[in-house]
Amino acid sequence: MEGMSYARTPRVKIRELKDDYAKFELRDTDASIANALRRVMIAEVPTIAIDLVEIEVNSSVLNDEFIAHRLGLIPLTSERAMAMRFSRDCDACDGDGQCEFCSVEFHLRAKCISDQTLDVTSKDLYSPDHTVVPVDFSDPSGEESSEQRGIIIVKLRRGQELRLRAIARKGIGKDHAKWSPAATVTFMYEPDIHINEDLMETLTLEEKRTWVESSPTRVFDIDANTHQVLVVDPEAYTYDDEVIKKAEAMGKPGLVEISAKQDSFIFTVESTGAIKASQLVLNAIEILKQKLDAVRLSEDTVEADDQFGELGAHMRGG
Amino acid sequence: MELGSLADQSKATFSLSDEDHTLANAVRFTLNQDPRVTFCGYSIPHPSDNRVNIRVQTTGDPAREVLKDACQDLMLMCQHVMKNFDKVVDDFKMSQHVKVEDRWPW
Repeated sequence: MEGMSYARTPRVKIRELKDDYAKFELRDTDASIANALRRVMIAEVPTIAIDLVEIEVNSSVLNDEFIAHRLGLIPLTSERAMAMRFSRDCDACDGDGQCEFCSVEFHLRAKCISDQTLDVTSKDLYSPDHTVVPVDFSDPSGEESSEQRGIIIVKLRRGQELRLRAIARKGIGKDHAKWSPAATVTFMYEPDIHINEDLMETLTLEEKRTWVESSPTRVFDIDANTHQVLVVDPEAYTYDDEVIKKAEAMGKPGLVEISAKQDSFIFTVESTGAIKASQLVLNAIEILKQKLDAVRLSEDTVEADDQFGELGAHMRGG
Repeated sequence: MELGSLADQSKATFSLSDEDHTLANAVRFTLNQDPRVTFCGYSIPHPSDNRVNIRVQTTGDPAREVLKDACQDLMLMCQHVMKNFDKVVDDFKMSQHVKVEDRWPW
């Protein structure tokens, strides 16, 4: 393998950064590390989501559990989640998950009294804690849009009513996808594209054009003046091999060589809005560190020996 | 939990509950970087058990110490990426800020 001397010091470079979107390069590391980071972001960074719903009145067209499910899927701002406790290991409330350290209570009251259909949305959820509220997707530019009123939970006609109490708790995506802070997290290997210039010059302009157009994404282009084939956007390449097959079909194998750089990754992170994209990455690294720490320390205690009883002792003895 | 023999500390299988590819593959990679390791691999014995087994065989050092060092190494790397990421985000925000100010009408 080429250059397997990965340093312990990966480099990071930000390409784009918005509240709910980040694109960055991670270099000088291995796919296993990049993948660990991706997997933690999707399934193990905690957020807060509605987990328990007590319905007082529901005369809407949707049944109770349907509404409870919809409530669970609403992203809530979760900057606090890292510092919060999981209700299962909360001492203050013996794990019933109803205390201030591990839960946030929401109330929803809506009744339609006019002939106009009433949309019950995430903005109708009231919480006493202003740090945990349904994510606001409205455009800060203030334009009136359909998203302005939040996420629709149910629609009510005249006389219908919905009244409920909901408890939001901390959780992770591994337990239920509603707790996943990530809409998508992907990484790609950076492609390394080399055009065989000598071979390329044996092609006519027309041939070059058909070859360039054989790529489903716009990776190559032809310089208008010199008629040279240029790589305009290597990252648009989707590893589809179309240009390579095309070159072979044209009787010019080896026209282009494309390989994936094994130590450079381009990440795209899209957040649901529960946590800022940049914070999501930092939280993921923190979680990974905690997991490693847990392994390192549990080695001292060999705690699970009781769990395995004689079997463990037996294996230990050789 | 560690399964090995008392006689030969240089070979052991570590069974980690509630972990998966996320941790095991990264740890396996760091272990394989270590020159003391002669063999390292991991497996998930059953997809519905939340458990991974990591096998470590070394040139002589106790396997558990080598595993701990690998965890330590990986943690330092995480620390480094975290520090870097933080800095890079700040730099990026700063540069965006400057650009906005450049466009200011006065």
